[in-house]
Amino acid sequence: MALEGRMSGNLITVDIAEVRVSDDPGAVLVTYALGSCIAVMLHDPLRRAGGMIHFMLPLSSTSPEKAKEKPGMFADTGIPLLFGEMSRLGCEKKDLVVKVAGGGALYDDKGMFNIGQRNYTVLRKLFWKNEIIIAAEDVGGARSRTAKLHVGTGRVSIKSQGEEMEL
Amino acid sequence: MINKADIVARIRNLPTMPGAVVRLFALAKDESSNAGDFEQVIRPDPAMTANLLRLANSAYFGCRRQVTSVRQAITLLGVERVFEIASGAFFARTMPARLPGYDVPADAFWTHCIAVAALSERLAKELGFEAPSLTFTAGLLHDAGKLVIGSFLLEESERFVSSLRVEDATLVEVERRLLGTDHAEVGALVAESWDLPPAIGWAAQWHHLPGGIPEGVDRMLVDLVHAADCLAHSLGFGADVGELSRRVDPLVTERLGIKARRLERVASELIDQIGEMGKIFGQPPGART
Repeated sequence: MALEGRMSGNLITVDIAEVRVSDDPGAVLVTYALGSCIAVMLHDPLRRAGGMIHFMLPLSSTSPEKAKEKPGMFADTGIPLLFGEMSRLGCEKKDLVVKVAGGGALYDDKGMFNIGQRNYTVLRKLFWKNEIIIAAEDVGGARSRTAKLHVGTGRVSIKSQGEEMEL
Repeated sequence: MINKADIVARIRNLPTMPGAVVRLFALAKDESSNAGDFEQVIRPDPAMTANLLRLANSAYFGCRRQVTSVRQAITLLGVERVFEIASGAFFARTMPARLPGYDVPADAFWTHCIAVAALSERLAKELGFEAPSLTFTAGLLHDAGKLVIGSFLLEESERFVSSLRVEDATLVEVERRLLGTDHAEVGALVAESWDLPPAIGWAAQWHHLPGGIPEGVDRMLVDLVHAADCLAHSLGFGADVGELSRRVDPLVTERLGIKARRLERVASELIDQIGEMGKIFGQPPGART
């Protein structure tokens, strides 16, 4: 379901609500336009494999039918799917380096539009329950991001408002 | 700073609204018109016919059965919908390959326009209101001003990006400071130059600052477009350089009774349909569905 992203050269684009994994050391997983959405990036340095999800909303109870069709849309259905796909590549949870980007927000005093914050809260809860530690993150702020994960090296770069940084 | 004359000249360079779309609007307003009148305007135009049939069969517009003729589309969708689709198809054709100044490819900008159109309409339904007339079109055209002032911003791009990055300024604040106007104000001028109904221009003009609308303007339409625009940007539809640099008007949230879970439900339900519509509008007339 999640494998074999659309590949252009060795660039694999992860669209909104998608999960992609790869064990091709030359591949780069990339996702664009992370507003309030969050990308979770997993890297296994031993097996030189990587995976990425670009989820959009915190909870699948918002739309259980959609969650069935597109589990990658929600944190609570998509993140377990991402870990599952990595394990199908032979990766073990203890070896995975976890990085997180996105969860941005508009200026919103009432917070109703702050989907980014809600996404991040559910992610933290899920990680806490499953004893997953975040190695690095770039979240929040009124910024949109593009995230790239180099499968061979585990290098992650984040581009936002014309500037690129390593994570 | 740019002066008004430069903007007006640039608006004049935009493609003019095709006669067929103008006639459809006149017919939609005319209570004595019938489906046959619409058919006569649409059928000689193969691009419009193809778009109408494709959109009538798309998930968003959701006719329950397969639509195979112009007449059937008019009957099932209604005359206002037909005008909205025709003007949307025209707007799609005005898109340049890349929107200068905002650092966004045209397809992402277009997806944003479609997203705001669909989200405005569906938000109304989700929140228990009847969407005002032409809500879809108002959402679709809310950013038309960007087509005009983008090239002026390009000349200021470094200051533009650094202002957004360093300060907590919003996109329209920075536009006003650098150009003396903003894409919302210019959007209203574009709508006027295309002879669109005034409500479309108001929605464009006030979608960033809905509190500024004068008395007598339909507040609901402006509120819906404002909320849909915020939601679309938040979700990453239309990743331009200033996408999250905007302020949600708390009074809009209050007036519409917006709740977080409702926004999320609308977003989850519409994401695929927005993608499908973006592709259909962008297709050349001869393409197959």
